[in-house]
Amino acid sequence: MTALERNNVTVSGAGPGAQTVVFVHGFGCDQQMWRLMAPAFEEHYQVVLLDLVGAGGSDLVAYDPTRYATLDAHAADVLAVLEALELRGVVLVGHSVGATIGVLAAAQEPARVARLVLVAPTPRFLNDDGYIGGFEPADLEELFGALDDNYLTWAADLAPVVMGYPDRPALAAELTRSFCRTDPVIARHFARVTFWSDHRADLARVRTPTLILQSARDALVPLAVGTYLNQHLRGSQLLVLNTLGHCPHLSAPQITTTAIEQFLPSPVG
Amino acid sequence: MTPDAEEPLPELDLRLTEENPEDLYEHAPCGYCSCLPDGTLVKLNATLLGWLGYAREELVARQALAQLLTVGGRLHFETHGTPLLLLRGQVRELSYTLRRKDGTALPVLLSAVLVRDADGTPLVVRVTLFDITERRKYEQELLRTRALAEERGAQLAQANAQLTAQNEQLLRTNADLDSFVYTASHDLKQPIDNMTGLFEEFKRTATFADPEAAGMVGMFAEALQQILGTISGLAEVVQVQRQLEEVAAEAVPLQPLAEEVVRSLQPQATDAGAEFELDFAAAPALRMARPGAQSMFYNLFSNALRYAQPGRRPRVRVSTARAGTSTVLTVQDNGRGIDLERHRRHLFQLFRRFHPEVAGSGVGLYLVHRLVLQAGGRIEVESAVGQGTAFRLYFPA
Repeated sequence: MTALERNNVTVSGAGPGAQTVVFVHGFGCDQQMWRLMAPAFEEHYQVVLLDLVGAGGSDLVAYDPTRYATLDAHAADVLAVLEALELRGVVLVGHSVGATIGVLAAAQEPARVARLVLVAPTPRFLNDDGYIGGFEPADLEELFGALDDNYLTWAADLAPVVMGYPDRPALAAELTRSFCRTDPVIARHFARVTFWSDHRADLARVRTPTLILQSARDALVPLAVGTYLNQHLRGSQLLVLNTLGHCPHLSAPQITTTAIEQFLPSPVG
Repeated sequence: MTPDAEEPLPELDLRLTEENPEDLYEHAPCGYCSCLPDGTLVKLNATLLGWLGYAREELVARQALAQLLTVGGRLHFETHGTPLLLLRGQVRELSYTLRRKDGTALPVLLSAVLVRDADGTPLVVRVTLFDITERRKYEQELLRTRALAEERGAQLAQANAQLTAQNEQLLRTNADLDSFVYTASHDLKQPIDNMTGLFEEFKRTATFADPEAAGMVGMFAEALQQILGTISGLAEVVQVQRQLEEVAAEAVPLQPLAEEVVRSLQPQATDAGAEFELDFAAAPALRMARPGAQSMFYNLFSNALRYAQPGRRPRVRVSTARAGTSTVLTVQDNGRGIDLERHRRHLFQLFRRFHPEVAGSGVGLYLVHRLVLQAGGRIEVESAVGQGTAFRLYFPA
């Protein structure tokens, strides 16, 4: 299976030669979470959407918990997608844990990522001696409780998608119903990897110009995290959006899109 | 039967059923609230405020829906619920826990729809919350049971893998033993035959001064006979095993086979005045390899003659019967019997003997047992010392 199939990559928008914008989703959803924003970029940019392995239409069989025990494996996947598309100097837009994955990818292969846009990012969710991540370990254990409580809801419509009968006429309907659903076992594992990760030390490895977009009132990421990132990412700029919630690209797509467009180089390649 | 639409409604005072919508909203048996698309609370009904213990003004425009949830639920809703709601326009049956003002928890089921204005811009989110305190306990019990079942399943799979490995090990050991028995019987036979010949020659030519020599020569001859018996026993085991490997199972008609075996034992049978009674009417055939069946009959019948009670004419009754889906072959004698209290555990072991006063090799019952096991069956034994023994061989359908 190629990297493009494995990560369910879709390419749209302006043709080859145009500046490429790659969107990386976060925990709990898949590439469809960019649907309110991605179309705005399609006129001037080539738009690449992907599902992290374990999410959406990715190859669930490829989800080996040992390999995906750290976010570095997802970063390597993103770089493999860029390599398969022969892309260098892209704009990488990542949301939440997808932003951390973007940071890791840019640090690993700086030539492939010309600009980073981090939407509601955090290098670490847990509080730690002087660092305010916003969560205590007990809070995160509660998340697993919530995942378990919603186990049945999550699992209910999953089977047809996992088994994947391409010839079935009902498939489109199944896919709609399976929107943002995840195999409960994978969701649990990815949640653990996501919320226990600590990538503060990787920030110093990044040389890429970076825009940090923070939601003014984000239930998951305290304001102090934006400042921390701004201080530790060389050449980054912090923009606090007057939005509420962890998903400004969904609750305020227009504001988020404008902020990104202003940060990007002229789209004419 | 569907009621005819034209039929007049039953005589009811409909004024009684007319609800006040405002009161219905405020005191509905479920919690209602409305939020802006970003989650800011704008309206809550009295039921929900009562559950939470907050005053309206503490929440409206000040708190977001996610903030009413426990931290875990908030994480789940922000990462999964919100995307669903804003992109699909609705979420259904999300299971969360509300945090009351006093810190206590209330399990709820949350469903929500996104209302858009005329040009499709998200306007408001309508949320319904149901108290599921009892149901949550039940669900968590189910989840616990499920986790336990999965754990047990994993343990079973592991145990199964161990058994398979042990079974393979046993099969290898068994094959090694068979080949050892073959080698031993084969390699011992030649020198023992030589010894027998040399001893005969020795007896013929040598003279002994010692008066006890004759007795010792007799004992030596007896010991030689025992070794020869053991070797031929081993050879028989090997031979039967090899035959079984080469010959396929078939439906073996029992009457002619039993008659043939009885004929081969005729000299001993005649000497003892023995009587065989054969009755295979209930099950005339058995599915097994013919040489195996023959060896089984031969060993059981010859045992019945060999271990006859002194002074009593041997009577051997051989019969079949159906027991459920199994076929039972019974060989009943009136011989010496076996002390099962003492010997039951060792009955089918190779070279075990229970009547030292009678010559025998200790191979017969071992072979019979092995043949029955290989046919997928089992053996039951009943015996009374001095009265006789019944072997019941159960074969699967």
